Amino acid sequence: MTSVTRPAVPRRTVIAGLSAIAPLAFLSACGGGGGGDSETANTTLYTWVSNENDRAQWQAFIDAAKEADPAFELTLEGPSFENYWTKVKTRMSSGDAPALLTTQAARAQELDALLAPLEDLADAAGVDLSQYNEAMLAGMTVEGTLRAIPYDAEPLVLFYNRKLFRDAGLELPGITYSQDQFLEDAKALTSGESYGVALSSGLVHLGMAIGFANGGQPVTDGALSLTDPMIVEGLQFSFDLVTEHKVAAAPAAVDSEPAAQQALMNGQVAMYLDGPWMYQAYEDALGEDLGASIVPSQTGEAKGLIQGSGFGIASNAKDPGGAFETLRAITTPEVIGAVANARGTFPSIVSEESQWAEGKAEDNVAAVTAMAHNGEALITTSTWNEVGSKFSQYATDGFHGNRTAEEILSEIQDAVG
Amino acid sequence: MSSLARSLAAEGTAASSAPSARRHGAARGHSRAAALYLSPGMLGFAIFIVVPLVISLVISFFEWPLFGVPEFVGLTNYRYMLTGDPAFWISLRNTLIFAVLYTAVNLTVALGLSYWLMNLGGRWASFFRVLFFIPVVTPMIGNALIFRLILNDDGVVNQILGVVGIQGPQWLNTPFWAMLSLVTMSLWQGMGYNIIVLGAGIAGVNPSVIEASRIDGAGAVARFFQVVFPMLSPTIFFCTIMTVIGAFKVFAQPYALTEGGPGNSTNTLVLHLYRNGFSFDKLGYASSIAWVLFVLVMLVTAIQFSQQKRWVTYDS
Repeated sequence: MTSVTRPAVPRRTVIAGLSAIAPLAFLSACGGGGGGDSETANTTLYTWVSNENDRAQWQAFIDAAKEADPAFELTLEGPSFENYWTKVKTRMSSGDAPALLTTQAARAQELDALLAPLEDLADAAGVDLSQYNEAMLAGMTVEGTLRAIPYDAEPLVLFYNRKLFRDAGLELPGITYSQDQFLEDAKALTSGESYGVALSSGLVHLGMAIGFANGGQPVTDGALSLTDPMIVEGLQFSFDLVTEHKVAAAPAAVDSEPAAQQALMNGQVAMYLDGPWMYQAYEDALGEDLGASIVPSQTGEAKGLIQGSGFGIASNAKDPGGAFETLRAITTPEVIGAVANARGTFPSIVSEESQWAEGKAEDNVAAVTAMAHNGEALITTSTWNEVGSKFSQYATDGFHGNRTAEEILSEIQDAVG
Repeated sequence: MSSLARSLAAEGTAASSAPSARRHGAARGHSRAAALYLSPGMLGFAIFIVVPLVISLVISFFEWPLFGVPEFVGLTNYRYMLTGDPAFWISLRNTLIFAVLYTAVNLTVALGLSYWLMNLGGRWASFFRVLFFIPVVTPMIGNALIFRLILNDDGVVNQILGVVGIQGPQWLNTPFWAMLSLVTMSLWQGMGYNIIVLGAGIAGVNPSVIEASRIDGAGAVARFFQVVFPMLSPTIFFCTIMTVIGAFKVFAQPYALTEGGPGNSTNTLVLHLYRNGFSFDKLGYASSIAWVLFVLVMLVTAIQFSQQKRWVTYDS
């Protein structure tokens, strides 16, 4: 019998092979989800942390909650605001997902599946939900159930530079401001390289706010109604500010908002629409020259488009009751008031508005308060992100006079439905 | 057959089967060693390429949200793509326009520049090679920010044009100029790679062949098209394949420069895919777009390979 000897595989070959496989095994190990304990999840908040300003705001909630309970703990986790709306869905799918998350009222519909109903938990904990801003509660309600407790209720307001108004000999806008007067002022404030108004190419900005103030609704009974005549008219008015009246520069298609904010802070433009969350930043730049007015409307009366955010509990939280304890600690009137005072967010509880008003010019407080008290939350659809994204693509056409607001909004309405 | 003959035959068989068995055994051993050497690479290929591809195909038959329960919808995503989503066809058209323009200009200019660099020689050639390659290693998002400053309505280009009394166009806000701006920025970013690869190919051309053509009286143009180009054709073919594939995958440029606008005029397939998957929460539909793109790129590449014998010569 002839024996056949197999060539031995060199030991070096085996080691090389195993060494090559080892990193893959390591990668596989890293990919494992793992399940986090509910105690950690209940004290972790998934939220947007775009910059130091955001982090300081969330830290203000923690610091205020610690005043009441020194043992209170809350860990922050999350990406930038722009990435938050995508990543929150994948993060909440993982085994060790935080039990607490943040949402805007305008995005509550989109995060429907992620957010647990809160009424029963609030009842059990004895939380009086009626103390929170009614419009914001409506904004946080999806399919008849409350999905987040609002911590702010921020109406869009028209910020302006008092000095530029005074230099042009104009009367300062206040708690009444008509569209005609606004246009007249914008023309008077435009000269050479300086424009009366700065614009952003986003959907929820000046045009939408004016349309809303005139009674328009971009969403009616849960369905898109972008071709609402008042909304169309409002957006066309904002396009015309550039193309017809030449009182504003056409905003860039990408990242137009920071440029517009910077223009107001540098004194290059006299007016810009934004939320009270920017109040402190504008005041730091303009000092006593910072003015705030209502959004101009046909009648000149205030009607605010309220945007705001709140804290919710993940629908897959292992211990919703435990998570609600944390949520409750950061949404008490005292905490919301303290954050409003420290960070300038307009509070979602009326009794805490004085905290926000402290140290601010009286007429500015009157204008912001008028918008908040006469406002409605922007309630959207689950497809709102798609609507906003498409508008960003098309807005540049409108601001360059290539297409009308009606054409653009009709196309988006047809495409998204 | 006699017993002697049978005995001899048996001995002969035994004698010949021993080396044969050893050969088969050695071959089996080599196969196992080869498999062992290949396994890490193949494992990585399977985990990171094959499995995701298959999963992506499966997802494309579902309505698959980022969070929530997927629902099987069969061919609905493909049907919607082909008959119900006008943005898909516009994105496809834009991608094709971009791919053709980008590839044609990229290869032509890169070939011209690398030929010029070969003739230039010396330190200046090295300097320009580095200069042309720098954009390749810079991040596209950063480049897009710079190009936005350059091409905005009141950007650097229009301000310079204004100085000489010309009112520049809206580079990023009209469909024609926006696409042209996109191609221009992509060329600035991507051409350096082809310049290096083609330069290496030109350097590999036998100088005696060029010298012989010169002695035979060939001018510069004839020398390039009849001597250098054929010898360089395998390198050009490689560059064409890679450039076309890269062009079909264009994403960062429209994402950062124009957001696909104005309207859908610079929306590309990958940008459309990204938005549907990660902004509009339609992973199933995004996967179906990915598969169509994959098949399209495979087809274009296959056509290029099938046609290469018409112009590519491997006889150096």
